[in-house]
Amino acid sequence: MTLPLPLPLQLPPQLPLLSLLIFAPLGGALALWLLPARAARHLVALTLLITLAISSAVLFNFDPAGARFQLIERLPWIASLNVHYLVAVDGLSVLFLPATALLFLGSLVASWNLVHDAPRLHYSLLLTLQSATLGIFCALDTVLFFFFWELTLVPLYFLLGRWGATRDSPLAAARYLLIMLAGGIPLLIAFIVLASSQPTIPPTLSFDLIALLAAPLPRSTQTLVFLLCLLGFALKVPLVPLHTWLPQFSLAAPGSLTALIVGLKLGVFGLIRFAIPLAPAAAQDMHWLLAGLGTVTLLYGAVGILGQTNLRIALAYASICHVGLAVLGLASFSAQGAQGAVALLLSFTVATGGAFLLLEFLRQRTGSTDINGLGGAAKTMPLLASGVLICGLAGVGMPGTSSFPGEFPLILAALQSHTGAGMAALFGLSIAAGGFLALYRKAFFGPVTRPEVAQAEDLRPRERVVLIALIIMIVGIGLYPAPWFDIIRPAAEAWAAGLSR
Amino acid sequence: MGGLSEILWQEQSSLPLLIWLQLIPLIGAAVVFAFKERSTAVIAGKVFALAELLLGIIVTSRINPTLPALQMAERFDLIAYHVAVDGLSLIFILLTALLTFLMTLYGMSRGMISPGRLFAVLLVAEAGLVGMLMTVNLVWFCVFSALELWAVFHLLRRWASSRAEIQALARFIQYQAFGWALFAGGCVVLGWAYADAHAGYWSFDLFELVGAVPAGKFQTAAFYLLFYGLAVRTPLFPLHGWLPNMAQHGLIAVAPALMVGVKVGIYGMVRFVLPLTPAAVEYWQPYVVGFAMAGIFFTAALAFQQTNLRRLLAFAVVSHTSLLVIGVFSLHESGIQGAILLAANFGLAATGMWFIVGFVFRRTGTTELHELSGLFERIPFLAIAFLSFGLAIVGMPGTPGFDAAHLVLEAAIDRFGALPTVAAALGNVAAAGFLLWAFQRAFLSPSQEGRELDVDRTLPMEYLVCGIALAAMLAIGVFTEPWLRLTETASQAIALRFIR
Repeated sequence: MTLPLPLPLQLPPQLPLLSLLIFAPLGGALALWLLPARAARHLVALTLLITLAISSAVLFNFDPAGARFQLIERLPWIASLNVHYLVAVDGLSVLFLPATALLFLGSLVASWNLVHDAPRLHYSLLLTLQSATLGIFCALDTVLFFFFWELTLVPLYFLLGRWGATRDSPLAAARYLLIMLAGGIPLLIAFIVLASSQPTIPPTLSFDLIALLAAPLPRSTQTLVFLLCLLGFALKVPLVPLHTWLPQFSLAAPGSLTALIVGLKLGVFGLIRFAIPLAPAAAQDMHWLLAGLGTVTLLYGAVGILGQTNLRIALAYASICHVGLAVLGLASFSAQGAQGAVALLLSFTVATGGAFLLLEFLRQRTGSTDINGLGGAAKTMPLLASGVLICGLAGVGMPGTSSFPGEFPLILAALQSHTGAGMAALFGLSIAAGGFLALYRKAFFGPVTRPEVAQAEDLRPRERVVLIALIIMIVGIGLYPAPWFDIIRPAAEAWAAGLSR
Repeated sequence: MGGLSEILWQEQSSLPLLIWLQLIPLIGAAVVFAFKERSTAVIAGKVFALAELLLGIIVTSRINPTLPALQMAERFDLIAYHVAVDGLSLIFILLTALLTFLMTLYGMSRGMISPGRLFAVLLVAEAGLVGMLMTVNLVWFCVFSALELWAVFHLLRRWASSRAEIQALARFIQYQAFGWALFAGGCVVLGWAYADAHAGYWSFDLFELVGAVPAGKFQTAAFYLLFYGLAVRTPLFPLHGWLPNMAQHGLIAVAPALMVGVKVGIYGMVRFVLPLTPAAVEYWQPYVVGFAMAGIFFTAALAFQQTNLRRLLAFAVVSHTSLLVIGVFSLHESGIQGAILLAANFGLAATGMWFIVGFVFRRTGTTELHELSGLFERIPFLAIAFLSFGLAIVGMPGTPGFDAAHLVLEAAIDRFGALPTVAAALGNVAAAGFLLWAFQRAFLSPSQEGRELDVDRTLPMEYLVCGIALAAMLAIGVFTEPWLRLTETASQAIALRFIR
């Protein structure tokens, strides 16, 4: 225990914390249908708070200095295929659980007064999405992981298609679903190849990540598995050239939903958890591919910001830019790179997710997030403008914000392993920062020209809570990152040691 | 070539249960028919359908799925009556019973003419299906098949939903009679070969034929006759021409569900074609698989062209049937097991979708996609159920389709390599594409100005029918283990003939 806090309550050791965490939102989703529709959002808020509490309990019960995987729960699920219900957390994943819970809470607060039609359906889909997302972070059985991975698509499809922000939303929803279903195929095939190429006698299927990590595969199989996994995860990340769904998605979705999709970087997590450790030799052979994709993605995202007039699309490009950096750092295959990548992803959840939530507040007031429809917004909405600035600065990696402690080791790792790409990354990041500030200036400063902007009121108390929480987290983590790094570091070192075997 | 083994019913239960499984629907049909159009007829129909389902569950609990033998066997040599079941046939029998029960629930809703007669014909069709699924004698298989086809023919003639039914009916008879004749021809070839080898003693019993498969050209001929006979039934591209017409003009839901909900064609291939013509199967395997691959994409492309929801579903059925054939003809135990489970999953999911289309038709009087819009607002439960069934067809995790498709893909990787497997899986995504597209147009698109459809809310009976189907599907999807255990040994026994 590195956090010098007394445990608020002593939990019995056999309590299946992770299962409780995964199934609490589902339970809430079912409970929604027992109560009248007007009580729905309060019940959802309660469920999300419970989820947050359980995820904090998981964090307190996690011992960073202990074994790699903790709080393991293993139950046979499909015994004849050797598939288990196997969940556990390690230092790389444990922080994502409270981050997910927080982001969903923020998303609920941001859309508090917006869901009028069929609220119970809307909220039960949202809670199902949360269950699936938490499951992705906890699952250590590849089939179970794939189950949760695909399970996220159904609620997303409905949330976007039915409650979308534009007329094109159903189309964007279908496109997203189809692209992600197609992306699932290489993943599934990779997992099947992995499972059936275990060198055991007699040959048995194995989907257990812990066992798979212990048994290295032949080189040719590794190459196949790595390429298939990379294809599947790169779609979700998204890496250029597979990113085309993201700008469309971020425009068609309500901000609270975009915050969830962009804020939770499931694709990079998949690379860290599955693609690279399962095929370490192939991944290291193809470091150029990973680093190249990362660099191209970073530069593409940075340049993409420059051409935008819509803040939400610009933010989507900024996030593309930063996952590029994370992937480039991962290509160093060092503990430093993994640690930086995880820290950056966590910071994303707060900074990018928060920025999308704030832009959603802006859209609700002015009907637009296009800079042509704004101008001078800082005059009437100073709090909102400063919130966007802080989140945006965190998004471009300003020292003192939560992104910096992640970005710094990433750049160091990249400069050591791929010097040229690292230089290009620095260059790209400064373009991104410049592009963001230029957009910000056009949107928030200058004379007020439009009546919607002139009449808009600043953040209301409910929204201020979101803003204050965001600032505390961004600045707090930025100034004092040590406790979080202490949780990530041992796992990142174990991760890197596993690769260099 | 190893023979087959069986366990007689006396060793496993105190009653010959299989004969009762066949008799209950027949007795039920007679009783319902005797009641004519009284309301008791409707109740009796439901009771018999439920009784059949319960008996099917009892039989499933009595057999031992870890033995490769066919079980609960009953013989009566005088009329060559010989039935037996294993895990594979039980999956289909349970599915038949469940679907028939759901159809009796579906059929009692308003607007159905003479429900008493309908239930009687339905039970006859069920008797035919159950008979086909448990007999191991080829002649009996042909007889039951004729019985079921007669029942469906009757349904189409009396309860068709549009004026163009004559064309649909003619197509149906042409194709099915031709397919039936092909299959019967195949049986004759096999019987003849047996008679040649056994001094003029004819037999059509699977247990005896399997020890004396014809050689050379005769085996090829038998394979082609049996395979194409079943392919018409299944229906397999390019022999699917009867289904879209029937789906569009025939009695909604019930008729198509009877013909394609229970994939007797796939069952027949696994039970009869693979053991009886093993050399021909191995020789023609690449061609069959190639055709099936082409079929997945060709019919998916056709499905994208459809403007009618019912025709679209028909093409969806043809497209996914090709995937089943790939599984069966991988000649790999996982492939066969996956194909059987996938067939059951498709049957349940497709029938669920037919039901919903039927409910929509009752409200709107049309299934033309461009006339449907904004249904989600009025019937959200049915809309979500429709999409869930669609996702089950695509093999979404959490539905039975996932584990089954997983097994088929595993076998395909093992036998055909990664590239054909990816192609087959992409076909599945194409299916997702057109089902989603249809869903979006019918359910999610905003209501057109001035054309708002006056749509009733979901009725309790509709909640019940879709709820049962949905619950069964999700339950099987999450707890797949018992079903895998039920089919594992039986699939191994069949794949053992093709160990290379």
